[in-house]
Amino acid sequence: MAKLRIKFENGDPDRLIEFNPADAPFHHDGRPGSILDILLGHKIHLEHACGGNCACTTCHVVIKEGMSKLSEAEESEEDMLDKAPGLTPTSRLGCQAVVTDPDAEITVVIPRFTINLASESHDG
Amino acid sequence: MAEVTSPRGIWLSVVNRIVDHNDDTRSIFLQMREGAQLEFIPGQFISILIPLGDEVRRRAYSIVSRHGDILEICFNQVVGGRGVGWLFERAPGDAVEFMGPFGNFTLDTPPQVETILIAEGTAIAPILPMLHGAQSSAHAPVFLLYAATDSAHVLYRSDLEALASRDANFRLETLIAEGDIYERLHNEVNRRWVSADGNRARQFYICGVGKGVVKIRDLLRGSGYQRRAVHYEQW
Repeated sequence: MAKLRIKFENGDPDRLIEFNPADAPFHHDGRPGSILDILLGHKIHLEHACGGNCACTTCHVVIKEGMSKLSEAEESEEDMLDKAPGLTPTSRLGCQAVVTDPDAEITVVIPRFTINLASESHDG
Repeated sequence: MAEVTSPRGIWLSVVNRIVDHNDDTRSIFLQMREGAQLEFIPGQFISILIPLGDEVRRRAYSIVSRHGDILEICFNQVVGGRGVGWLFERAPGDAVEFMGPFGNFTLDTPPQVETILIAEGTAIAPILPMLHGAQSSAHAPVFLLYAATDSAHVLYRSDLEALASRDANFRLETLIAEGDIYERLHNEVNRRWVSADGNRARQFYICGVGKGVVKIRDLLRGSGYQRRAVHYEQW
């Protein structure tokens, strides 16, 4: 079984998902087997304003462990990440980074803010 | 006073009116609760919360226009598209919740270099507010190449023609193409802005459906245009 550990920059408790990549899709948004797909399929919320179609950066995650176990980023994802706040060398879009290795052990951090979520500050 | 938004920044609106552009393409005008006015950058989209069964899905729709507290979005029927199917079932007075605006495919200042806008069908939606915004002051030449499968699917024609008639720096050209419309667009882009000259100072904004958008991106970047001069949104 693959393992995906999720750390939340906002202080929420860590979560650990154990899953079989061959069971993908787990949900219906993002690429099948992507971090977004895995999280949503295990009832963990990750923003995805565009529906998981690589058209925004709200599903920006930072990979802390297991980068090599993810599908390579395509140019469309790199273009989008260019506009993500808090970009790091191991940033990925959750909707595009796919796990296929059944023995993968991956740790991701969900950043506190993204440029898109900042635009939501309209309530109040 | 009633709440304008619900928790987590969800905007509340109702369908104000509906306009059918043709037999499969529709605009709905969403009136914001309590007269709220959504600020957005031309090209951005809203993320509509669509209840399907026991869950809520989010689907992105570009903002075509905003007049006061009323936003317009435009969409077309998609085979098997449950989200858009739900939208087609909305009637005036129905509630619609959404989040946003979102998106980085934007043009918020009058272009300073020759700018080429390329759209197909309903993908004119983010482009139209870009055009309106560009005309707020002097700008470099702007050219819109707008493709559709037939003349009925050239949306906002009168609006676009009016823009072109009052702005000498804006040119509009439509491309009606049956079959592989993106192949035709690719060929046109190649003919006009790749093969025709060595000018690589233009910038491009491309919006459409599927891999054809990426092929046009690759054509332009591969021919010497700067990566960041080629903006695109692939639906």
